[in-house]
Amino acid sequence: MLALLKLIQSIIKTLHSDGTPGQVAAGIAIGSVLGLTPLMNLHNLVVFSLVVVLNVSFGGAMLGWAMFVPAGFLLDPVFHAVGVELLQAPSLRPLWTTWTNTPLIPYTSFNNTVVLGSFVGWIVLAVPIFFAARYGVARYRATVGERVRRSRLYKAVTASQAYNWYRMFRPS
Amino acid sequence: MRMKIFRWKAIGPLFLFLTIIAVLVVIFAEPVARDTTEEASTELLGTQVDVAKLDLRPRQSSVDLRGLQIADPFSLKRNLLEADQIRLKLNPQALAEKKLVIERLSLNGMRFGTARKTPARPVSGDGFAPKTLQSVRQWTEQFDVPLLSLTPIDTIRQLALDPTQLTTIREAQALVARTDSTRKALDQGFQQLAIRETLDSANGLVQRLSASDPKKLGLDGTRKAIESVRQTLRELDAAKKRLEGLERSTRTGVQLLSRGTQLLDRARQKDFAFAKSLLKLPSFSAPDIGSAFFGKVSIERFKEALYWAELAQKYMPPGLLPRPTPGPQRLRAAGHTVEFPKENEFPRFLLEQGLLGFTIGGTSAVQGAYSATVRGLTSTPTLYGRPTLITASRRAAASGIAAIDVDAVIDHVGTRTRDSASARLRGIELPSFAIPGLPFRVEPGRGSSSLDFSMKGGGAQLFGRWGVSSRRVNWAVDTTGRSMNDIERLVWRVVSGLSDLEVVAELSGSVSSPKLSVSSNLDKAIAQRLQAVMGEEVAKAERLVRAKVDSLVSDKVEPVKRQIAAVQAEASQRVQVEKQRLDQVEQQLQSELKRLTGGLVPGIELPEIKL
Repeated sequence: MLALLKLIQSIIKTLHSDGTPGQVAAGIAIGSVLGLTPLMNLHNLVVFSLVVVLNVSFGGAMLGWAMFVPAGFLLDPVFHAVGVELLQAPSLRPLWTTWTNTPLIPYTSFNNTVVLGSFVGWIVLAVPIFFAARYGVARYRATVGERVRRSRLYKAVTASQAYNWYRMFRPS
Repeated sequence: MRMKIFRWKAIGPLFLFLTIIAVLVVIFAEPVARDTTEEASTELLGTQVDVAKLDLRPRQSSVDLRGLQIADPFSLKRNLLEADQIRLKLNPQALAEKKLVIERLSLNGMRFGTARKTPARPVSGDGFAPKTLQSVRQWTEQFDVPLLSLTPIDTIRQLALDPTQLTTIREAQALVARTDSTRKALDQGFQQLAIRETLDSANGLVQRLSASDPKKLGLDGTRKAIESVRQTLRELDAAKKRLEGLERSTRTGVQLLSRGTQLLDRARQKDFAFAKSLLKLPSFSAPDIGSAFFGKVSIERFKEALYWAELAQKYMPPGLLPRPTPGPQRLRAAGHTVEFPKENEFPRFLLEQGLLGFTIGGTSAVQGAYSATVRGLTSTPTLYGRPTLITASRRAAASGIAAIDVDAVIDHVGTRTRDSASARLRGIELPSFAIPGLPFRVEPGRGSSSLDFSMKGGGAQLFGRWGVSSRRVNWAVDTTGRSMNDIERLVWRVVSGLSDLEVVAELSGSVSSPKLSVSSNLDKAIAQRLQAVMGEEVAKAERLVRAKVDSLVSDKVEPVKRQIAAVQAEASQRVQVEKQRLDQVEQQLQSELKRLTGGLVPGIELPEIKL
């Protein structure tokens, strides 16, 4: 429950004041990989570390994750088809063979059709997600953002002590 | 202000987060690994696998398993294998590549065929192993193992035979329809030949020419007359060819009908067998008796061998081509995981050497310590380059048991796979089994048993031989709920007097079309006794069956045969008649042609007519 509360706090705060629209959009774009690809894989640990270390919006990344989980489920058949095509492509077979026999890389499960297809899908979608999110955040702040900021709910949420912990990851 | 790329102050919390993950891994790795091992093994083998405890020993790169139980997929109340302790020495380099290479496996306290405290869960789902188990069960159903019927002859005097059940009648009806359509086709063929028109035109020409004098026709008239003759001869030639074509197709149609009559004879034999089966007459054929007594129990042995051979085919495929397997079960779609084997690299799974020590407890002659070795068990045999070898043996000169020898070779290195296994057990307590359809039970006691099984080319060639030999056989009779009839008592007297048992069951053919033959030392003895006592009665019953079937099918079959003969005769006769008419008119035309050209008119070439 606390985690959920913190997530809501971070998302709301993100949309209003944490970082520039570009930082929020970068967070959303990077975080979307957590939602688009199956979570329990090594590459997602790397992605999460990047979200923490890079000066992007952490809340944005969480928002991206939450937003793209349903998309990931819905697009699984497409990802599978893409993965099958890539893993069966004769020209790419030497690459996959090398990666299969390289330490640690197999733990990313790149040789799974859904994992590979969804990761490639994310690479393709990352830039459009970034620009769409940047435009969306900017428009939000310029239109309804100020009214939301003045609302009691917003004040209640941001006043919570739990939010303070999150501030450590706020983009500077 | 220049924006910073890195958030250095988050390094500490990230490190903390990773540390927490590492701690969680350390805490939960063993139970998770245990559950995963149970789950994956159950899925792979198609039978419940339990592991009581799993200890990870990272420093020795080894894993200790305790209390391993593998349920028998064919008997859920017992374990196929039980082991107290298993130590797996893993190759760390392979582990870094997400591959399981077991350099050394040692099993201690291994037992076979132990009773389970709770019955195993049947494995269901779309996995390969459950499907194989199901298909192997279906495979056993294709064997036509007869039951030895020992119904008294007195009770079978009345034979109620429904004509609709007889194949001959159905075949005869179908043949009538085919005969009608052949006759229609014949009529249509003659009509399409248009021979009458050709003959009328030719006869007209003959009449016109015979009435004319060549000297009066003049040069041009003679030339035109000769051209008309040549044209008509060509038409006659074409008509003859059409007639020959019709003759050929008619012959084919008639041959098919003749074959149909042969099928009718065969169907009648089948109906005799069917009617005989309704009477449940006992068979005096020794192979039938062998199959009836020991066919079912033999198939059970081969079924188990086939199941494991099929799993080996699936999990140990030859070649180095990428191979997709179903991905891991998760909330998201599983997809397929594709393996990319590479020469001189580790396969996904390899058991380099397994040393197995096991004991058979109790006070039986087989109790004691055994040893077994497994070498080169791998998911990519081509990469390993050598066949998998499994051996198990025990030598105990002092005990009642002479030896147990088990050898298996799984050769999937090349494209033509060969799996073979042989087991020889001597001096063991053989399990008792019931005789299907009869209230008898065999208790072979202590004896020897052997099983040889081989499968080549993924099931294209199958060979199996199961043998049981015992000198101290006991026979038990179970008459709960009913008493034995006279024939059963007779057979009982034969079998109960025998203390020796020699059974040999042989499997051949292919997986898709297997053949089973079973023989035993009982077959002849029982067959001779039954023949002596019931031979005359059974022969009389068989005559009755034959007469009954004949009476039902004769009035359907004979008219069809007559009809076919009539069609055959009619077709032949019509063709001959038409041929003769064509020949006749052709001869007339030829003579008219001779007459016309008798004056040797210059410039007129005689036509070359090939008929």
